[in-house]
Amino acid sequence: MSQAALPDGTRFVLPDTAARRDELRDLLRDLYHAWGFDQVEVPSLERYDPGHPRAAQSFKLADRDSGVLALRTDFTPALAQLVRAAHPAVAGGARRPVRYQYAGTVWHAIDPELARTREFTQVGIELIGVSNARADAELIHLARESVRVVGLEPRVEVGNPGFVRAAFDAAGVPGPLRDLAADAIDRKDRSDLSGVLAPAGLATASVDALLAIPDLYGGTEVLAHARAAVPWPAALYEIDRLEGVLREFEDDSELMLDLSMARRLSYYTGVTFRAYTPDFGQPLLGGGRYDGALLPAAAGFSLGLERLMRAVARRRSVSETEPLVLAFDDAGARRLRAAGVRVVRALDAEIEAVRREARDLGIPFVLADGALEAIDPGADVERLAELRTVLSGGGGA
Amino acid sequence: MSGARVGDGVRVAGTLVLALPKGRVMEESLSALRSAGLRLEPRGAGRALRYDAGDAVVIEMRNADVPTYVELGVADAGVVGKDVLLEAGSRLAEPVDLGLAACRLSLIRPRGASTMIERVATKYPRLTAAYLGRIGSGAEVVKLTGNVELACLTGLADAVVDVVQTGGTLRDNDLEEVDVIAHSTARFVVNRASLKLRSDRLRPLIEALRRHPGAR
Repeated sequence: MSQAALPDGTRFVLPDTAARRDELRDLLRDLYHAWGFDQVEVPSLERYDPGHPRAAQSFKLADRDSGVLALRTDFTPALAQLVRAAHPAVAGGARRPVRYQYAGTVWHAIDPELARTREFTQVGIELIGVSNARADAELIHLARESVRVVGLEPRVEVGNPGFVRAAFDAAGVPGPLRDLAADAIDRKDRSDLSGVLAPAGLATASVDALLAIPDLYGGTEVLAHARAAVPWPAALYEIDRLEGVLREFEDDSELMLDLSMARRLSYYTGVTFRAYTPDFGQPLLGGGRYDGALLPAAAGFSLGLERLMRAVARRRSVSETEPLVLAFDDAGARRLRAAGVRVVRALDAEIEAVRREARDLGIPFVLADGALEAIDPGADVERLAELRTVLSGGGGA
Repeated sequence: MSGARVGDGVRVAGTLVLALPKGRVMEESLSALRSAGLRLEPRGAGRALRYDAGDAVVIEMRNADVPTYVELGVADAGVVGKDVLLEAGSRLAEPVDLGLAACRLSLIRPRGASTMIERVATKYPRLTAAYLGRIGSGAEVVKLTGNVELACLTGLADAVVDVVQTGGTLRDNDLEEVDVIAHSTARFVVNRASLKLRSDRLRPLIEALRRHPGAR
């Protein structure tokens, strides 16, 4: 067999990391489950669609019949398809909430620079079928809880690309300049923005209002600033909409506003948000409302599990998940496993060799010839007594 | 948060970390930051690449590395040329145009050259490829790291894309600027998370920097 290098941007996951990743994954699944989000699975192979926003970033595969397939780059399109198949009424516009959660691998065919991997795990939720402030608030609540549940301090920034779009409409920014102008606003780059707008010949008051947008971020005071600086009715309507979402929160201290969030203006139709944690320089989670793009009413978010792991302080998995017993004796091993103890099968037969094997694997107890012993004199004697009780049939561990 | 992680190297909770490019821009940036109210001590005699300057920790690096440090959040903010940001395809927040180190990024050829361009040498391969695509040229791009003009003089390439400040080097070597691809100035760039999470320190700094002569 050849010793070829791994493909760029892929990696092995060793037991410690795998265990921590599963732990985070379980915490998130239980959180979303507790809020009524049901788990679904979708295929990782999709029909290649050149119109998909991430089409250029997908790994393509030739199908047998000369069709082209792609590895999924995110879950949203497949989930929308699932909803169209399973809930045709909702897909047709009926108002009925459908709550789904998902987790799995996604692949991005990008230059693996800036520490980005090309294969990673995405976890997320979608709330489909209802579009109102309470639905938006539910997702923002869960974005905040997703960060909290893994033991980090959450900060969630909330924006509304509809505001920027309304301002463009009202000011009469010509279509061809809109992407560049939105990009400059999203980068808070007023100097670039004034350069982009210069050839459009807009009224001075309109240019001034647009140039105020990059600085409209901060706490709730931003809403008042925005009303004063960008006073077009359609823009005010979008500010009201955002305020309506914020009213759903009793405690909005962990929320921040950013009215200059302006990425993917043609996709997101309502609130968008990102979650951060202090002293970690990258967003942990992102999402928003995209009514009409794939389904009449839909919103959701996703997070990258590998990045979340980097943000979480290194902590070992709880000790109970480490293998506890190395057993030569299969009947005893069965009894211990039935009580939830992790038991590894000894591959040596002779007792000294089994003890050595346990020492090499870092397993504290050995079960051989019907006897359970600790290989280290400093072992946890209470734990040993507990395990002996289980072995003799005296109740659970 | 406790425990080490990749990217934690220079982080102390509450300290502002600034990534600045080596050389003249570093001195000019420091003086702009000082006049914006940051107390920043000179580094002293040593050659420390990272030092606590008082109101911020300063880390010094090649300009092309600044976007990486800021994007990954090891530095909260930094100063870097727009040319570098364009080449890196960076999506950092760029709240202040400092107006420093103004230059053009241009297509340069030997004076009077009129043949079709077949090969372009540059330190900016991504920008150059995008530019050639826009003008419908099929020329190939060669990446160099130093004295790009030399490529034209020696016949390695029949055009180069490089920064032009005064045009002195071009005149001395009988080269001419054929097309201006982009204008560049030094930008104050900010990590998108820091902009929100440390706005108490960064917002006043941004406001003050915009008032610096030449900045916008």
